[in-house]
Amino acid sequence: MNRGYMGKILWVDLTVKEFREEAIPDEIYEKYLSGTGLAAWLLSERLPAGADPLGPENILAFVSGLLTGTDSLFTGRWMVAGKSPLTGGWGDANCGGNLSPAIKRCGFDGIFFTGVSEKPVYLLINHGRPELRDAGHLWGKDTAETEEYLIAEAGGHARVAAIGPAGENLSLISGICNDRGRIAARSGLGAVMGSKRLKALVLNGKKRIPVYQRAEVQRLSRQCNKWVQLQPPFISGPMAAYVGTLMRVLPTQMAMEGMVYKILLKKWGTVSMNQMSVEIGDAPVMNWKGSNVDWGIGKSLSVNPDAFKAREKVKYHCYSCPLGCGGVCATKGPYGDVHKPEYESVLALGGLCMNGDLESIFTMNEMLNRAGMDTISAGGTVAFAMECYEQGILTREDLDGLDLTWGNAAAMITLVGKMIRREGVGDLLADGSVQAARKIGKGAEAYTMHAGGQELPMHDGRNDPGFNVHYSVEATPGRHTIGAQLYYEMFQLWKRVRGLPRPPLVYHKDRKYVADEEKAVMAAACSKFMNVANGAGLCMFGLFLGAARIPTFEWLNAATGWRKAPEEYMAIGARIQTLKQNFNIKHGIDPRSFRAVDRVVGRPPQNRGANKGRAMDIEKMRSDYWHQCGWNPKTGHPQGE
Amino acid sequence: MSYRITETCNGCGACVKLCPVGAITGEKKNIHLIDSLLCIECGACGRICPTAAVKDSFGIVCERIKRSAWEKPQFDLKTCMPCGICIETCPVNCLAPAEPVSGRELHSHPFLKEDKRCIGCGFCASECPVRAVRMSRSFLAE
Ligand code: SF4
Ligand code: SF4
Ligand code: SF4
Repeated sequence: MNRGYMGKILWVDLTVKEFREEAIPDEIYEKYLSGTGLAAWLLSERLPAGADPLGPENILAFVSGLLTGTDSLFTGRWMVAGKSPLTGGWGDANCGGNLSPAIKRCGFDGIFFTGVSEKPVYLLINHGRPELRDAGHLWGKDTAETEEYLIAEAGGHARVAAIGPAGENLSLISGICNDRGRIAARSGLGAVMGSKRLKALVLNGKKRIPVYQRAEVQRLSRQCNKWVQLQPPFISGPMAAYVGTLMRVLPTQMAMEGMVYKILLKKWGTVSMNQMSVEIGDAPVMNWKGSNVDWGIGKSLSVNPDAFKAREKVKYHCYSCPLGCGGVCATKGPYGDVHKPEYESVLALGGLCMNGDLESIFTMNEMLNRAGMDTISAGGTVAFAMECYEQGILTREDLDGLDLTWGNAAAMITLVGKMIRREGVGDLLADGSVQAARKIGKGAEAYTMHAGGQELPMHDGRNDPGFNVHYSVEATPGRHTIGAQLYYEMFQLWKRVRGLPRPPLVYHKDRKYVADEEKAVMAAACSKFMNVANGAGLCMFGLFLGAARIPTFEWLNAATGWRKAPEEYMAIGARIQTLKQNFNIKHGIDPRSFRAVDRVVGRPPQNRGANKGRAMDIEKMRSDYWHQCGWNPKTGHPQGE
Repeated sequence: MSYRITETCNGCGACVKLCPVGAITGEKKNIHLIDSLLCIECGACGRICPTAAVKDSFGIVCERIKRSAWEKPQFDLKTCMPCGICIETCPVNCLAPAEPVSGRELHSHPFLKEDKRCIGCGFCASECPVRAVRMSRSFLAE
């Protein structure tokens, strides 16, 4: 039967070098979809409690999405999952490029690795036939070099995912790269791959992906594409910052229309938000203690959207994406043409460290992509070290002579290089700020901006408390790609899912901080919906178009032949959410321990800037959220103990 | 579903060279065999076979067509989004992103980079959601 999925997965045991195909029953796809849902089910079943994340028992899963390759749009995301060495619980990360269809074209919905190889190896799948090959000569090479080498060796055409030196060195903030610098960065899963001595996956598949009603999927895609191509003429990059200023000074706020964000994304990519976010109070500044007052329009001008646009040579689209938020940019540095840095990377290596030197941001971004290290966590860790230096907790001596003052771009580049190579103080910082603070002592912990051990992304929960909720309640803490009040507004789920509230068009900003039941309903809806999206392989930016314009549920029905209502898909999302929460509990995590740190939730509140005076009852918000998920509101345990 | 080789096969091996997934095996001058689990139904074997020995998935005997007359994709760049679906779909990887046309937004659209390798399967056209790919022989006239 043609149902959009391939119906089987590949197991690779790296210890004994054995392959095993496993057929997945249709009921499993109906219960958990594919993608991270499928991975969550398998890892819950097969990963023993207490498994060492960097040991042979851990399972590292590379999964594609149910909708990938069905001629639906925005469905080129692949996901990696495993037990996270960074948080100790459920870990996943999501990435674009062209790898996702390649997994399915090899005949599998996912490739699951167990064991540990004695020597470095890489997996090659040619015409559906897997083999493990020696990767000794690739160990130590960066992700771009590795990819180029392996593609050439495969005859010029293959899709590759690889770790760089960071993953090899078991850095707990390392990720997995594909398409020359796109990275599944979060949860530290690069270290899991490094611990298995698996350097890369080389996929050369040509299988056709079976679809129930391809013509219907395509018809829906054509409708969706019309919205994507609707693009008015434009305001300039720096002007966007003043829109942000205006949004800050007004006491009221309008529900965000995702079409507006889509227009910005299509024109500039995520960097469109660089300055605007600082102005609104969405971007954290100076390790979360600063604000737009410290890094105002003048200072952030160097990273205004047009500065990136000026270097852009060509737009970059992930597989099946009609939008193309990415870009290839020319740099003067040694790397030549590179992927356009993302908003997250620019702000983590920019405003968070008070660094306005654009060239240095390009350099560090590319260094980190090639090393396979998460730019968010790396930037967060550098900012942490900067504040420790300011506080006298880390001295110049501790820092190998670096004068790590706010905004010292040259010192930052040196430090990032050391972190990648685990050299000197870089070894201390290569596992992120929380691990470093533990080793430093002296109260350094107060300057780690994290949730559950993972550095926080560049969205300030004191501006949108929804971010703080998701940072604190998700099985993968500290993530910005699941939910927020802003995201709920843009998803417009109430237009498709019965019973979900429609937020008011205009509201007073104070309203955002009130912990009421409606907000918990919205937050839970975001989590459920993103589980559906990550099962389908959908990109969140596509979903910002709004549920009436991007036909998530309709595509799923057309691709699989199911006749599920949107509410049934949301129930699948809820099931996956519970599965992941239970995974964490099985592995000894107390859900309460994931709460974002005090400074981030406004304790004490800031005394100036966009988020002046803002604080929230995060414990109540969290408890309400757990309640909405049907879990114990006091403990966050799904079994209602 | 899979293509199939019948007794008319004279074992010339033309299809073996062409099959993009290595599904066809056989000794020279002996009847060849298609591995039905590997076959992706691109039809290349049927188009090249000189003895009309290949049947498609519906059991219909494939018609031989001179290779120079095989249909090839043409791209309507105004309609193309571009999404890259066709590039990933091509079983012989003969499509690639082109240099962007300057002036407009700099998107890179697909083009037939290695036209000699194209097997005329039409997968690119059938998977393009916005129907920006048309299979045609019009290049012959050019
Ligand atoms: S139809 Fe295509 S894939 Fe199938 S055997 Fe013939 S050439 Fe190979
Ligand atoms: S599939 Fe169609 S829209 Fe997508 S790149 Fe190819 S021609 Fe363009
Ligand atoms: S018809 Fe299209 S998909 Fe088939 S070989 Fe030619 S370019 Fe590739």
